[in-house]
Amino acid sequence: MFKNRHTNISLLVVILFGCVLFYIGTDGFKAFTEETARVNKLVDEQPEFPNVTLEDSKGRTYSISEFEDKYLFITFLYTSCNTVCPQLEYNMAQVYDLLPKKYIGEDIVFLSISFDPERDDPSTLERYRKAFKSDGETWRMARIKDQNELDSLLEKFGVIVIPDGRGNFTHNSAFYLVDKNRRLIDVMDFTENEMAADKVTSILEKEVGQQ
Amino acid sequence: MMTQFIYGLLFYIFLMLPPVANLVESIMITHMHMQMPMLVVSGFLMAGIFLKRFPRFFEKWNSNGIPGITLFMIVIIYWTIPRTMDEALTYQAIEAWKFISLPFLAGFPLRDSWKKLTKAGKNLIIIIFTVKYFGMGALYIWSEDQLCNNYLVIDQLTLGWGFITTAICLVIYLVYAFTVDPTKYE
Repeated sequence: MFKNRHTNISLLVVILFGCVLFYIGTDGFKAFTEETARVNKLVDEQPEFPNVTLEDSKGRTYSISEFEDKYLFITFLYTSCNTVCPQLEYNMAQVYDLLPKKYIGEDIVFLSISFDPERDDPSTLERYRKAFKSDGETWRMARIKDQNELDSLLEKFGVIVIPDGRGNFTHNSAFYLVDKNRRLIDVMDFTENEMAADKVTSILEKEVGQQ
Repeated sequence: MMTQFIYGLLFYIFLMLPPVANLVESIMITHMHMQMPMLVVSGFLMAGIFLKRFPRFFEKWNSNGIPGITLFMIVIIYWTIPRTMDEALTYQAIEAWKFISLPFLAGFPLRDSWKKLTKAGKNLIIIIFTVKYFGMGALYIWSEDQLCNNYLVIDQLTLGWGFITTAICLVIYLVYAFTVDPTKYE
């Protein structure tokens, strides 16, 4: 097997090629799925929340600048979803409860954004809001009526939504944290409530401490 | 050899046609278990004429088939990473890389290497793929997360079972290879 020098050289070259290929293909063995790669990239790039018009469960319409000088804790969902979204919102409620009360509404607002504006009108969102005991003020549920605006936001934040043709969507889920300058600063695992709450608390503490 | 090359080339071009590519890529399992192997097959068919024309090169650099089969395995394993399949759909460059790497870096070396391997070597390769396919199947079926952003979770399950089924077939072959002595029947 080791008699032929040339063949050994080519084997070495092939193995090196393989290492380089896998290294590049997984960002240095860090991201084996597109989702991990997406999150790493978002946190690096910190895209800005685009200027969109929201319509919330109370039927109020306002632009995103309504939340000026506040952090935003965001999830994306659609109310007809019966798989991951209820879990996502339930976990969001947990994070809401875990944060120190003094920050809620003052320094941070929770926002659930529907990517199914056709079905999720204010009354549907209102029902959903009550089901998760959100107060509709410091934790709002809203849709973005303008499809172009919605698409630009989803694209910027890397939310991929695929309709399955039977009224459901497959979509990736996470907690998104936007800072006071409307920049996305973190994307967190939505199954790790306590970790997310700790992280947000420490960011808020730092922020308030600076003032 | 020439006709084989032409068939391989036509097959390759056929797979590249946008409607064909879009159709097979729209379903996860046909993307991985149909389009990708067919690309390898097209390369395999095209390879013959080159092996014949440059036998010295392959004899010199791939005398025992090990470098070639290693290259083949690297390329195949690379394309079973969930991320690469997603990126092929999202980025043009990765899609192009798929259409280059599978025929020319997997199909070509496979053709030259497989016949050079010993029986034990061949079985070893099949065993590696069996283990890998069981592993990938388990990953796709029991993963709690959605591994590919471009596909539905149900597609992911189908693909997982596809892997398991393929692995079972490989096991059947291996059992056959180790228990049946073909010379007895000749």
